[in-house]
Amino acid sequence: MAERIKKIALLGNPNAGKSSLFNHLTGLRQKVGNFPGVTVERKSGLTKLNPNEEVQIIDLPGTYSLYPTSLDERIAVNALIDTNNKDYPDAIIYILDITHLERHLLLLTQLMDLHFPIVVACNMNDIAEQQNIVFDDKKLEKTLGLKCIKINGRTGAGIEQIKDSMSAILKENSTLTSTSFFPITEKEKDVATELQKIIPARNDYHALQLVHHAKKSTFLSQENKIAIEKIIEQNNFNSIDAQLNEIMQRYELFSPIVRDVLRKSFAKAKSITDKIDAVVTNKYLGPIIFFGLMLFVFQAIFAWSTIPMDWIDNKFTALSMLIKSILPENILSRLLVESIIPGIGGIVIFVPQITILFLLITLLEEIGYMSRAVYMFDNIMQKFGLNGRSIVALISGGACAIPAIMSTRTISNQKERLITILVTPFISCSARIPVFAVLIGFIVPSYKIGIFNSQGLVFMALYLIGIIAALTAAYIFKKILKAKESSYLMLELPEYKMPHWKNVFYTLNDKVSSFVFGAGKVILLVSLVLWFLASFGPPKKMKEAVAVATIESSLMQYDSATTNLHIASKKLEASYAGILGHIIEPVIKPLGFDWKIGIALITSFAAREVFVGTISTLYSIGKDADNLTIKEKLKQEKNAAGEPVFSMPVALSLVLFYLFAMQCMSTLATVHRETKTWKWPIIQFLYMSGTAYIVSMFVYQILK
Amino acid sequence: MKNITTLHLGESAIITEYSDNAVACKLMAMGLLPGASISVVRKAPFGGAYYVRTENHYVALRRNEAKHVLITNG
Repeated sequence: MAERIKKIALLGNPNAGKSSLFNHLTGLRQKVGNFPGVTVERKSGLTKLNPNEEVQIIDLPGTYSLYPTSLDERIAVNALIDTNNKDYPDAIIYILDITHLERHLLLLTQLMDLHFPIVVACNMNDIAEQQNIVFDDKKLEKTLGLKCIKINGRTGAGIEQIKDSMSAILKENSTLTSTSFFPITEKEKDVATELQKIIPARNDYHALQLVHHAKKSTFLSQENKIAIEKIIEQNNFNSIDAQLNEIMQRYELFSPIVRDVLRKSFAKAKSITDKIDAVVTNKYLGPIIFFGLMLFVFQAIFAWSTIPMDWIDNKFTALSMLIKSILPENILSRLLVESIIPGIGGIVIFVPQITILFLLITLLEEIGYMSRAVYMFDNIMQKFGLNGRSIVALISGGACAIPAIMSTRTISNQKERLITILVTPFISCSARIPVFAVLIGFIVPSYKIGIFNSQGLVFMALYLIGIIAALTAAYIFKKILKAKESSYLMLELPEYKMPHWKNVFYTLNDKVSSFVFGAGKVILLVSLVLWFLASFGPPKKMKEAVAVATIESSLMQYDSATTNLHIASKKLEASYAGILGHIIEPVIKPLGFDWKIGIALITSFAAREVFVGTISTLYSIGKDADNLTIKEKLKQEKNAAGEPVFSMPVALSLVLFYLFAMQCMSTLATVHRETKTWKWPIIQFLYMSGTAYIVSMFVYQILK
Repeated sequence: MKNITTLHLGESAIITEYSDNAVACKLMAMGLLPGASISVVRKAPFGGAYYVRTENHYVALRRNEAKHVLITNG
């Protein structure tokens, strides 16, 4: 039983229905991680082929051929040609869209030449039927010499047969079909033979692949790369010409098969996609619809999330009060009531907004709209040094910069990708919403302007400033950075389809839980540390503070409640958190921030939303008014001169600071992983936070 | 040789070959094969990308990619 668990890779062109098949095979037993070294999402999961045989399914990124143009495609190719890769499969399930059979055979025949055991899943039979395409799976099976099974990605029909066939070919372990659709040329044969003298390869075609990919390979040693370079030179081997020749050869040989197994009578009538696109990608209407959709998305986030958010807020406050009344007053009960419960509450309260945002973005992606947005805005994006595909990152950035930065993997040009990564965090993410929401009340009072609410308009303005900042920064980076390679669009616009609700569910489940358990852990930890810092200090100083406050109170003839408040605030000032805040106060004073805000700036570096938690902790410690809303607490806050701390200029300066500053550890960590250096996250931190500091200082000094 | 940027909206022609090998590799892998009938369905706003279609593939191309798709009036 010590046998190693077999790995089955799921492969296919983009939009072939790979994720549906993956979800059917693995269900909730899937694990989302990252491919080593990059943040391209790596999905894997266990599935039982039969009661006694369990295998691991790996969902490799979709690609059109073994010749990748983007990072995620390259990851799929690496897993197939690097025999030491941890995802190097024992067998492959190839998913094929029969309505685009010809194109889908290209990658399949390449995989056949790599001599992998393959089971072919033929998808989109329902759509084929609608298009009057008759598909003969038995004939395809015979011609290719591979098991071909009709499946339905929506209903899951055919999945059991896939499992049975996979189990069978894993057992067979026989030498594979010799059907090939690529007669290798003399020169290629020579190159492959040379290569096999230095690196063991499965066969000539595998050797040839290693040569094609040597230059951009991440797994070959430097020595081997140089050796391969030599082989290429000696044989006068032109990789791109050979690739083109191979692709043409393959099409030539398998095109007759397509005519043999497919009977199509293309309907002349315009397809639904044509009709939708005539409106949605219309020169004038298209952009209007796009901005309308975005407006709807943001409206939805705010309007639909208030009720669940208020509910969560109330429940957590009630829970705190309940526990406080039950447990005896001691250090542990205080930890629970003042730190842990509000900490968890502060995470859970974001779930409604994040869910709605990801739901809408996932839906737009699923139905095929996102690639239309890419098509419409590619040209404008290019003017700013970005790529049409950057629009997906910029939109997702409205939810969270981390998945947004991960989505840049589809951008083939490294410069455009880097710029997208660098500027995306300027887009106001959901973590800034609570900070803005608390502070906006101090900037403008709430009143109606026509159908709009004044505070809603300020919110809009903040988002707009974020977008402008991102584009401006992109333009500056475009001028500074050097381009090393040419940039491509060449994007497939898949036919519109109804969303697969199952896929939407799994994606949402994955994104929301990774927020709650990923970012949430950090937030909770920070709130614990903060509670400790704010509750304890050097014992001598703390005692002194209490003594001084008591004397002062009796001199001022305070009543007992005011005395307690005064003591609490003096204690906080003497605590570790107070000391830390005082240390940075001179630096942030020009921005209008006092030491308490300073504490919040430090702690919210973990994640911006921690600001609200910090502020509420700072002002609720020792007070009875736990159930006052944060806003009311802040309004009561006065400085030594009796003026409100949160005046309009301070609030505005603070909002702008949060808008521009790189206040997110997790994003920086993601950028590091993505760019594989510390150079870019450091540059990103410095330029964003520098901008924030200058803008806030400027605004505060003018308005104060 | 004419390329698809010379086509009027809605006008169709036959792809003969590509004048750039990298573009050829990618577009052929995406299913745009020589011999196929191609038409420019629309152009993106602000002088942007070309929305082209063959029999059953819809693809967005930049102008400098589209100009490598050579055609003959079919």
